[in-house]
Amino acid sequence: MEKTKSILKAEKISIGYRKGNKKKVVAENLSFQLTKGKLTCLLGPNGVGKSTLIKTIMGQIPTLHGDILLEEKPLTSFNLQELSKITSVVLTEKIITGILTVRQLVELGRIPHTGLLGRLSKYDLEIIDKAIDATNIQYLTEIRLNELSDGQLQKAMIARALAQDGEILILDEPTAHLDLVNRLEIMHLLRGLAESENKAILITTHDLEVAIETADIFWLMQCGMPLVIGMPEDLIINQQMDLLIPGKGLVFDPISGKIVQKDKKCNIPVSGPQIQVKWVKAALAKKGFSQNLQNMEIEVVGEPFSIFLKEKEGTNTFQNIESLVDFLQLHKT
Amino acid sequence: MRNNSLYITFFLGFIICLTLFILNLSIGSVEIPFHDILARLSGKPLLKTSWETIIMEFRLPKAITAILAGINLSISGLQMQTFFRNPLAGPYVLGISSGAGLGVAIMLMASSAFGWGIYFGELGVWSIIISAILGAILVLLLISLTAWRVRDSMTLLIVGLMFGSAVSAIIAVLSYFSGAEQLKLFTVWSMGSLGGTSYLQLWGFLAASILGIFPVILMQKSYNAMLLGEAYAESMGINIKRLRWGMILSTGILAGGTTAICGPIAFIGIAVPHMARLVFKTGDHRILLPGSAIAGAIVLLFCDAVSQLPGSAQTLPINAVTSLIGAPMVIWLILRRNFSREF
Repeated sequence: MEKTKSILKAEKISIGYRKGNKKKVVAENLSFQLTKGKLTCLLGPNGVGKSTLIKTIMGQIPTLHGDILLEEKPLTSFNLQELSKITSVVLTEKIITGILTVRQLVELGRIPHTGLLGRLSKYDLEIIDKAIDATNIQYLTEIRLNELSDGQLQKAMIARALAQDGEILILDEPTAHLDLVNRLEIMHLLRGLAESENKAILITTHDLEVAIETADIFWLMQCGMPLVIGMPEDLIINQQMDLLIPGKGLVFDPISGKIVQKDKKCNIPVSGPQIQVKWVKAALAKKGFSQNLQNMEIEVVGEPFSIFLKEKEGTNTFQNIESLVDFLQLHKT
Repeated sequence: MRNNSLYITFFLGFIICLTLFILNLSIGSVEIPFHDILARLSGKPLLKTSWETIIMEFRLPKAITAILAGINLSISGLQMQTFFRNPLAGPYVLGISSGAGLGVAIMLMASSAFGWGIYFGELGVWSIIISAILGAILVLLLISLTAWRVRDSMTLLIVGLMFGSAVSAIIAVLSYFSGAEQLKLFTVWSMGSLGGTSYLQLWGFLAASILGIFPVILMQKSYNAMLLGEAYAESMGINIKRLRWGMILSTGILAGGTTAICGPIAFIGIAVPHMARLVFKTGDHRILLPGSAIAGAIVLLFCDAVSQLPGSAQTLPINAVTSLIGAPMVIWLILRRNFSREF
């Protein structure tokens, strides 16, 4: 099948930096492949070497051991110009220029394809329009970069990378500094682009929940271990998500798909409508009451919202979760 | 900016440039009426033969020098601002002009030490131009070495300032040990002037300008990519190393060559690219490069006209006039504080 063809492949490579004769290995024994049409998310704690891996895949740092194969040929056999036609990037680096319009920014993406003077052909203009359409920023084309919000700027940067028209798109933390809505929007945009444009998209992110929702493949990176690769849902079932959490105290909750504090689950039986029960439990778990509270039951009623705390001594009624929590804090700890 | 208004702006710029050019031929200690010069251009002889001499021997080379110097300094400023991603960069601010001065100083002192009679004649013209270019390139190399290590724009400016002072100090030491004749030659040179350019020097200047501008035409696309920073430029297939060398050579030749002929001229290199950005409202170097060139020519012609103090026989030093016009402009830009937003 053409669609699931892998475009970039690596077998047991080591990555890191070389200074003179000294090598500083950041990670070793990494095997992976990038597939067209799929959104791949690289996750891992800070400092584990995600950026180094990204730079190595971009061809900016050579591998210390082993070869990365790009379209079956070693990455090192490509020169900058050839590489730029295959791989395009969105980096974390801040753009200082503000005078360009969004359209001019997207036009820059055609640089690897144009002649010495950078004149855009009809084909180039088509690709530029396509990139602008694909990212839904038609309404921004004549706006200058300094007038954009962070989310809009990120979309424009993605459009620029699309206009570069390579098969691989690499984004380093595209959702950092964005608000929740923009984070979701960008990730869903990328997921859509992977399919509609048949690109191999690799992103690094710390946004676990959104990533689980959108990614086809997870690469989990942890110190001193090979990459753990798989579909996020499979990794959850195989209990491999805890790899992301080196410290104690936190644990990945396979039910909610979130990272939660260990031992902070609500063990008190709560009954009532689903939504209300979920958030009462969440509030109690957050406060860490679960150990101290025994021999009690909670019943929630949806309309009008009220909470009944049933104990041996009798029943207390509360109109909101806050007063329940205040009561428990005062009397039970 | 739409294509039509772009052409109109360039056309207007050209007209202003031409008008100032003729104005510069007309004003000075001896006033030659504007319409007489226009008539001369259409082939009619001038009223007085002395006017012919004044124009051909003094004012014409001076006006051409002003145009070339304006173009060269603006284009080197634009290149440095984009390459170092620093809106305050420019050949004078970062000490490139001082470097050129050092080259000339060493040349003059060495020539006296070895008993060469230079400064006049063809050999002299080229030796001054080349030594200034070498001095400029030396400072540029040091600056880009520093810029490569520290990526902070303020640090770069401070380092540039330090290089400038260090180089000036070396020049001072050299002057202290040099003979009266060389000292005089150097002092006259360092005061800076657009006038007094011989045709021989003018040809050398023209050759250096063409040599310096040629690589810029080839690098426009790379400079556009540099707007997004080195990492993005590299991801778009731009060879940063080659661009760095291109920038150093081109800027060195343009700024060094100009300094060799006119002496240090401040603020043109830093202020004119910003004027071009304000007028053309773009970051595209395919427009900004010719735009800065024409704006630079206009500004320096204008400064030269002002320095003639119309109606008086006195002439102000050109460096003083450019500073008086350029310094407030830079301060105004800083006060607007949107350097990074409009850069």
